[in-house]
Amino acid sequence: MRNQFRLNCATALGLAASRLSRTLRLGRGETLYGRVVSAVDPLALEKLSSGRDIVLVSGTNGKTTTTRTLVELVERGTGEKVSTATFGANMVAGITSALAQFPRHRLVVLECDELFLPEMYNRLRPKVIVLLNLSRDQLHRTGEVRKVSERWHDAFQRDDVSFVIDRDDPFLEYSVAKAGHVIRVTFGGRRHPDAATCPQCARLISWATNDYICECGLGSALPEVRASRALRGPARNAVLAVEAARLMGADVPVEYLHELSESAPDRFSIFSFGSQVVRVKLAKNPESWREALIDVTTDFVILSVNARGIDGLDTSWLWDIDYSSLKGKYVVCTGERRLDVAYRISVQGIDVRTSETFGGAVHRLEEWATEKAVSTPEMFAIASYTAYQDEAARHQGVKP
Amino acid sequence: MSGSASRTASKSELTIVRLYHDLLGTYGDAGNTEVLVHRAKARGVAVSVIDINPGEQVPRTAEIYLIGGGEDGPQTAALELLRADGGLTSAAGQGATVFAVCAGFQLIGSSLPASGGELTDGLGLVAAYTRYTSDPRSVGEIVTQMPTQDGSGLILTGFENHQGFTQLGEGVSPLGTVLLGVGNGLPTEDNTVTRPEGVWAGNVFGTYLHGPVLARNPELADIVLSSQLGELAPFDDELAEAFARERRTTLFK
Repeated sequence: MRNQFRLNCATALGLAASRLSRTLRLGRGETLYGRVVSAVDPLALEKLSSGRDIVLVSGTNGKTTTTRTLVELVERGTGEKVSTATFGANMVAGITSALAQFPRHRLVVLECDELFLPEMYNRLRPKVIVLLNLSRDQLHRTGEVRKVSERWHDAFQRDDVSFVIDRDDPFLEYSVAKAGHVIRVTFGGRRHPDAATCPQCARLISWATNDYICECGLGSALPEVRASRALRGPARNAVLAVEAARLMGADVPVEYLHELSESAPDRFSIFSFGSQVVRVKLAKNPESWREALIDVTTDFVILSVNARGIDGLDTSWLWDIDYSSLKGKYVVCTGERRLDVAYRISVQGIDVRTSETFGGAVHRLEEWATEKAVSTPEMFAIASYTAYQDEAARHQGVKP
Repeated sequence: MSGSASRTASKSELTIVRLYHDLLGTYGDAGNTEVLVHRAKARGVAVSVIDINPGEQVPRTAEIYLIGGGEDGPQTAALELLRADGGLTSAAGQGATVFAVCAGFQLIGSSLPASGGELTDGLGLVAAYTRYTSDPRSVGEIVTQMPTQDGSGLILTGFENHQGFTQLGEGVSPLGTVLLGVGNGLPTEDNTVTRPEGVWAGNVFGTYLHGPVLARNPELADIVLSSQLGELAPFDDELAEAFARERRTTLFK
């Protein structure tokens, strides 16, 4: 009873704080809400999660999109409302806030930052964890990929959680090596750029067949689900979401499954500059940039790069990407680290200009188009995290 | 050294060997190769790049060898492969240029911690002794000053991200001295002591600077190239210079 009282005080104070924050236009108030609740009741997370069925979605790329897909699948397939966090809030405060918002919803689907996943695994006691992928990202913060999978491996040792993983990623296979129940999905194998050696025993991995089975046994567990090799990142994640939804008791019709893997949702936004429209893709690390480059179908391209904390302070990763598909296109680089990316692509023989602002970059492309007598250029932009957020903030009503 | 003489004689051709990129290429260090190729081609030099993967023999007669940074396990794997192969040691002995970054820098030295933590012998191309300490990992932008013949010094910038600290042998020169960041050694309270970064011995270069370092410092790329090609024709690459200048002025006002 006393426990509940403390939690009620915590949520009431949190609500007041977040309203104030919104009134003063300091932000959406979600994170502040979570912080106040956790400060007043340090056991808020445990209490708010007790008796509920929780799915956590984690991995380097695709967390937010997959979480949205999963919410939709579970709501459609169970007829129940699902609690979730909006705007990709995936650390302790954001998760607390999401859990407190509709405490009576039994079903909860949350994305979780890779480094917080072990803590959330222990505190929330989730029913299902979906692990999408692990590749290099924010190297200054997370350390190497191997360290993240080592932490997961050490944490995941109970048998009351079901994991859904892409087993083609050896780092995920290693992460769940001691876990009790694992649904393994394979997409026919694909070479992992960061896994030249085995995460479990450090032996060299032979990728001759685009797949791996290490002498130590890693990779030898048979997959439960076999999906098409042709699927790209977002579609692969959708397949994992379907398996997780089924574990949550949702009924997922087969037709829907096909529809999902063919038109997997991805994070694009449309920014307008006068009459000029720019399709913008948020991409934060080499793997997501490679995916985004495949989507460049126009000749007028903007690349926007910052290197603030969340972007990764070290821009070296820009050199891990092959930009040769941009050859012959018109490219303008912007963002605080525009020279890093501009120089990198110039070394690949790509014609490039720079501009201080995103709007300026659009203008430069328009000038370029005029020079080339192209009347209505279609524009596509790839932006790193804060570069995207800054621009999105200028385009009110656009959701990431 | 006869090998060295024959190398500098053939100035219109250059072979660059990129060693174990999949093992040691975690921080965009592959870019160093691309920059060398770009700047050599601009001088009319015919460049070929040979990628060496585990299981393939390391060529003995190339002019420039590059090794990048990576994690402890792959570092140990690469060290064992290079030791068993012997090609890199042999080429370095004949005057080839070796440019090694971070984990690569550590493994061309005399000793370093293996992935299990115990000390192991490095390739011994330079007298550099790396050990681990319990200090936090050195992560962040780094600025150093490299000595130049005219005495003015060359400012280098990069991004460091490493756990080990590296002590150079008596009389062995660093690549530069630290102006910002950590470099080879522990940060000292006493600011009067110069702090070394990297190593430079003959044609062997080692550094903790990522970035990639040769992209952020075109002058250093030219120093590496001229170690094999002799004097280079001028090359005006506005974007390269603007990038290098932006990093220098942002970090070191």
